[in-house]
Amino acid sequence: MSQVSRLLRPVQLRKDGEDALVIDWSDGHSSRHSWRELRRNCPCATCREEREKPPEPFRILKPSEIPRGPLRPLAVRPVGYYAYSIEWSDGHNTGIFTFDLLRALCECDACQGRRSIEQKGQGPTGLHSTKED
Amino acid sequence: MSGMPHGMPGQQKLAIPGIKHIVAVASGKGGVGKSTVTVNLGMALKAQGHAVGLMDADIYGPSLPHMLGVSADDWDRSPEPVEKYGVKLMSMGLLIDPTQAAAMRGPMIHKYLQAFLTQFQWGQLDFLLIDMPPGTGDAQMSLAQLVPVTGAVVVTMPQEVSLAVVRRGLAMFQTVRVPVLGLIENMSYFVGDDGKRYDIFGKGGGARIAREAEIPFLGEIPIDPRVAELGDRGDPIVHASPDSPIAQAYLAIAERMKGELDRCSREVAPLPGLEL
Repeated sequence: MSQVSRLLRPVQLRKDGEDALVIDWSDGHSSRHSWRELRRNCPCATCREEREKPPEPFRILKPSEIPRGPLRPLAVRPVGYYAYSIEWSDGHNTGIFTFDLLRALCECDACQGRRSIEQKGQGPTGLHSTKED
Repeated sequence: MSGMPHGMPGQQKLAIPGIKHIVAVASGKGGVGKSTVTVNLGMALKAQGHAVGLMDADIYGPSLPHMLGVSADDWDRSPEPVEKYGVKLMSMGLLIDPTQAAAMRGPMIHKYLQAFLTQFQWGQLDFLLIDMPPGTGDAQMSLAQLVPVTGAVVVTMPQEVSLAVVRRGLAMFQTVRVPVLGLIENMSYFVGDDGKRYDIFGKGGGARIAREAEIPFLGEIPIDPRVAELGDRGDPIVHASPDSPIAQAYLAIAERMKGELDRCSREVAPLPGLEL
């Protein structure tokens, strides 16, 4: 069930320099997301599984896994009325970032401060908590 | 995969010019009369002067052609939907022989739905009603992600086992933010020859769940044995017997549904994107 009010919606997406995305929401909040954190929290099944597996220090990368140049986002596109997908320069585009997840990943000072208080009081409450978190 | 149809992310919603409102007719479980409701709701909207199309998204068990008395022989392989009683129709049942099975997985379902919507010339429509398969699977997710649906109508029956599944269906629409126009309770009661009302499957379940879920209750549809009989003859009751109480119930539900569309249109305005 959606945690975010059904009337809450993004009104504008913009870049914050080269490193981050800012989403202006209909409730007046502007959520800030570094591209690095968005990719690190990609909710697609493959990335989720990758995060949850124990590390394999001796795994040899396949040629297709070796990045060609720095990783960068190419586009952020709406999925239905409830989420966004990000197309990355390495061709990855299967993550569906729901509004709930995007609000939970906001890196602005106010949201990070609130989450830190919540975590101290009640333990982790993130919607997407992983072993890495 | 995460349960999403393959190749979905990164695709924009399809633009379907000429169609004012796309309404999904859904239910959590099968056997609640969803296809009967779709056809008769379509006929009610037509009777109220609207241009109506019906699309059968039940790829595995298409039943709309049967209910409208059309078959694969009526489709001339053109990109025009079949027309019956002034209503346009496209269905898997028009593409394959009734003895054939549509054995396909999610990605193919997605492709067929996309083709029905974009490769057929629906023309100018006030309403395209989409008869959804039961459940919360690939067809539902594809439509939520691809089609600019104005809203969904959820069909249920009064008894608890049906309502429990409706709750799941409603939760799915809320998750994917498809506005729910309201709930229709089918097979609500039977009026006997003695003029008395008999609540065969219980009473008030639909209205209760609508209150709980804070969605509009669009109305009750009584049981009438003629519905199945006329459906089998390919003549929906709203068309065959427009003065019957059941036809009147459909007309009232269609009016209420239209009243909810304005509210929903605001919720489904296009979202901004960002090209970098």
